[in-house]
Amino acid sequence: MQYALLIYEDEAVYGSDDSPVMQRIIGEHMQFGQQVGPAIVGGAGLKGTSAATTVRGANGSQTVHDGPFAETKEQLGGFYLIDVPDLDEAIAVAKKIPLAASGSIEIRPLLPMPDAPAGS
Amino acid sequence: MRPPALEAIARAAGGRIVAALAARFRNLDIAEDALSDACVKAAVTWPANPPADPAAWLYRVAYRAAVDALRKQRVRERLTSEAALTAEERAMEDFHLIPDERLRLIFICCHPAVPPEARAALTLRLVCGLTTAEIARAFLISEPTLAQRLVRAKRKIAEAGVPFELPSPRHWTDRLDAVLSTLEIAYSKAHEDAAGAGAHAGYAREMIELSRVLAELLPAEPDANAFAALVRYAEARRPARLDADGVMVPLAEQDPARWDRKLIEEADGFLALACAQPASARSLQAALHGMWCRRRSLADPPPWASILRIYDQLLGIRDDDIVRLNRSVALAEVCGPDLALREVESLGSDRFSAYLPYHAVKADLLRRLSRPDEARAAYDAALALDPTPAERVWLEWRRASLA
Repeated sequence: MQYALLIYEDEAVYGSDDSPVMQRIIGEHMQFGQQVGPAIVGGAGLKGTSAATTVRGANGSQTVHDGPFAETKEQLGGFYLIDVPDLDEAIAVAKKIPLAASGSIEIRPLLPMPDAPAGS
Repeated sequence: MRPPALEAIARAAGGRIVAALAARFRNLDIAEDALSDACVKAAVTWPANPPADPAAWLYRVAYRAAVDALRKQRVRERLTSEAALTAEERAMEDFHLIPDERLRLIFICCHPAVPPEARAALTLRLVCGLTTAEIARAFLISEPTLAQRLVRAKRKIAEAGVPFELPSPRHWTDRLDAVLSTLEIAYSKAHEDAAGAGAHAGYAREMIELSRVLAELLPAEPDANAFAALVRYAEARRPARLDADGVMVPLAEQDPARWDRKLIEEADGFLALACAQPASARSLQAALHGMWCRRRSLADPPPWASILRIYDQLLGIRDDDIVRLNRSVALAEVCGPDLALREVESLGSDRFSAYLPYHAVKADLLRRLSRPDEARAAYDAALALDPTPAERVWLEWRRASLA
């Protein structure tokens, strides 16, 4: 089964993109990647919410805002896509994800993609 | 209306049938619906045509119903694969050949991904075969609310990818702990009702059965045995927990002659198995109950010194405020109420402001130290926290006895 592991932390803990905390955590993510290996099928770290732009669609009209879609204490800072046999394995992988301080990993199963029509 | 024989057989064998079907088809809804289908068919055919092995009959018919349901589902999903049938169907003539998959089912129902308020209900429904009406009564919620919780829990299990296998060794400790915590919470509801006359009366019996199943399926797990022992010790004392007027009787004042010796003997057996392994918090908690249950009559002195020793051991494993609070009751008997009160007052009173036993213990210590005004305030705090009727009368009586 495929899962997204969504990493929520207080981004203020990291400071700038090249802060010592950021350097350390990137190293830990490299180690995590080596440890978990081929179960990881994708993922990315995200720049801070100060770099975010949000397009909002409502009632047929679209507006563009600066900033994230919602102000929260912890922000989505990155994610992994993994392919593992079941939820217990997904939980075990999530427990290994490095966090700078406190934070949460939300485990979400991916919707199955419909098979491509034959011959396409 | 099902005939009574069918009711009894479905109750006794239903858990195993649902568990076997769930393990085979990886789908809780299909397993549960298949058993209901089989029961409906049994109600029609059994009166004229009673089967030789009714449980095996139910399993066989439920199995076929599950296969049919899956076929229909596959047609809907435009898939063509067919479940293999024949080899398994051949093994269904004898109920004892049904694989016992109840442990797997218990682990599925109590997975940490299932909302805590649904875990015990789902276990009682699928493994013990209680009806939604019975469970709703036990949990003091409406039947539609419970039914909705069960539906959501089953959907979560299917969608989140909760494994239908037994947990692998590296997940074992976490998962077993989730199972035992679920069952402990479920049992504590039954235990609070001291008279055993309320809505929980039936499921205290179910917890005895479920804890036995769990201990028998996991003979090498000290915690599973400890839980089976604990439930039995607690239930054994039930006949002595209230006096003739329905007032709570503290453990040390209960007449051991009224305790259920047969249950205590069963509990002793489980405790011995639990204690064959290094001590765990659960085995020590069961040992506390076991120590009390050694008492044969009110003439035997209460085992306070041994109780305190076990609490000291427990603190070595799990040093938390609740253990310290309970220990202080034994401490008061062995070392005097003064020392015990100092211990209780050293615990975080903020955390305990809404915890009835904290105020009750403190009130009793202050009463014994002849500090009636403070004792009265503590009794009032306890009484404000919605005690059970039996406990309320006892607390009021104690409060009234103050100088």
